[in-house]
Amino acid sequence: MSKSPLWLRLIAQISAGLVLAFLCLPILAVIPASFNQASFITLPPAAYSGRWYEAFISDPEWRQALFASLHVAVIATIVAVVTGTAAALGLHRLTGRSRGLLTGFFLAPMIVPVIVTAVAVYRSALDVGLSGTPLGLGLAHALLALPFVVINVGIALRAVEENWLRAAAGLGAGPWRIFRTVTLPNIAPGIVGGAIFSFITSFDEVVVAVFLAGYANKTLPVKIWESIRLEFTPVVAVAATLMIVLAIVLFAVAQLLSKSGKKQPI
Amino acid sequence: MARRHIETLLLLAPAVILLLLCFVVPLARLFSLAFTDEAGPFATFAILAESNVYRRVMVNTFLVALAVALITVVLAWPVAYILTKLKGFWFAFALYGVLFPFWISVLVRTFSWMILLERNGPLNRFLVNLGITDKPLALLFNDTGVMIGMVHVLLPYAILPLYGAMLRIDQRLLMASDGLGAGLFDTFRRVYFPLCLPGLMGGATFVFLLSLGFFITPALLGGSNAITLSMLIASFINDRLAWSLAAAASLVLLVIVLALLAATAKVLPFGKGMYAK
Repeated sequence: MSKSPLWLRLIAQISAGLVLAFLCLPILAVIPASFNQASFITLPPAAYSGRWYEAFISDPEWRQALFASLHVAVIATIVAVVTGTAAALGLHRLTGRSRGLLTGFFLAPMIVPVIVTAVAVYRSALDVGLSGTPLGLGLAHALLALPFVVINVGIALRAVEENWLRAAAGLGAGPWRIFRTVTLPNIAPGIVGGAIFSFITSFDEVVVAVFLAGYANKTLPVKIWESIRLEFTPVVAVAATLMIVLAIVLFAVAQLLSKSGKKQPI
Repeated sequence: MARRHIETLLLLAPAVILLLLCFVVPLARLFSLAFTDEAGPFATFAILAESNVYRRVMVNTFLVALAVALITVVLAWPVAYILTKLKGFWFAFALYGVLFPFWISVLVRTFSWMILLERNGPLNRFLVNLGITDKPLALLFNDTGVMIGMVHVLLPYAILPLYGAMLRIDQRLLMASDGLGAGLFDTFRRVYFPLCLPGLMGGATFVFLLSLGFFITPALLGGSNAITLSMLIASFINDRLAWSLAAAASLVLLVIVLALLAATAKVLPFGKGMYAK
């Protein structure tokens, strides 16, 4: 509709603007809420103060939760990136039916409802003694992050031309050297994109974590989840604000990388 | 050639083993629990089917998911359309507006809505001040709250496939329709809308399926007044240690999701359309 009338364009623009505002602005409500002076959340706050930030930092439980989250996210990212990158390289060598089937298999954790995965993994983790450990939760999060790595690296691999590999082989390079000097530099943005996505997937994840974290190993989302249900103090808003800040930083890094890598789907 | 095959296998092995040990085996073990009830192999399913309470939970889960899918598709329309028209800075601005919420934890987004929808929260004060309502509305701990939160979280999943479909529409078809004398409404109804339909259906299906299994948002915004299937599963385990019932309910949820996915696989632009640029 190259010449849609002005009134139609106006309606589309205004409603799109309203929907985008609905999508983005409510998220930010926790930021002013975290600066409340009072010991309960009012919005906008009657008086501002940073006392709940001090409360967050001085509370060992919150500090420990932050540390546990980082610990689990690092495990999940390493496992997902190593297995996912190798899997994407393997898939790239396959053709036809086997490739489609295996790709579907690797993406399966995206399709199964998270609550089902959480309950299943919790049960098995209880049986083998991995429940309540960072390793158990890290492996479960790696599972959820794996599809993102496979997709990201897979897309990056499509840009690596078969001719470059043949040229390198013709010049006498062995398979490992070809991978290191031709393939790897070209898929590096995809790997880093997948790693960032894995990290944020684990750091934000709460359903599996609520079941699997246990008492000693509560991650930040689990601690937030429990605190919301017990009390409604602004310290929860502080924790939520920290999660938003981290997400924005990682989002910005991913965007900068995708500018240099061009074909990132993030 | 054999060497190449072995290499390929070695590359695929770690991810396959991870998925088998941490995903396939746990799922199989959980589902086997559904058939281990003392009263017989299918007793758990009979309990789920015969209880009025559980039936109501299922129906409520379906109705909420259906409403959320319909609302997201309607709200997705103007954003997807505007994304196909904008260029440069405003395009990036709108696209980031759609993608940014993806990066924020669902828990944080839900918590924000709890603050906003509270009885004495900003939204209620705003409505009272405008004179739209005399006393604060109950926006939290019921289906209204659940739907607001879920529409907010799932909206990008509806926008992106729809945008992908709109982007693939050949503009010359619209000009042809225009040139042949069709009015704006006819062009929309007979050309533009049918071409958008795959993306629309794909997005709606995606949102519907995700809604069925949603846990965090209904648990916090709905509470005990708006129980969904996923909350029921969690409560079987946490409150009653009824693993066989939890397993049966999980199996039911997964089978429903897979059946719907298979039924709509043809229109679902999975993989390709999701991130179309």
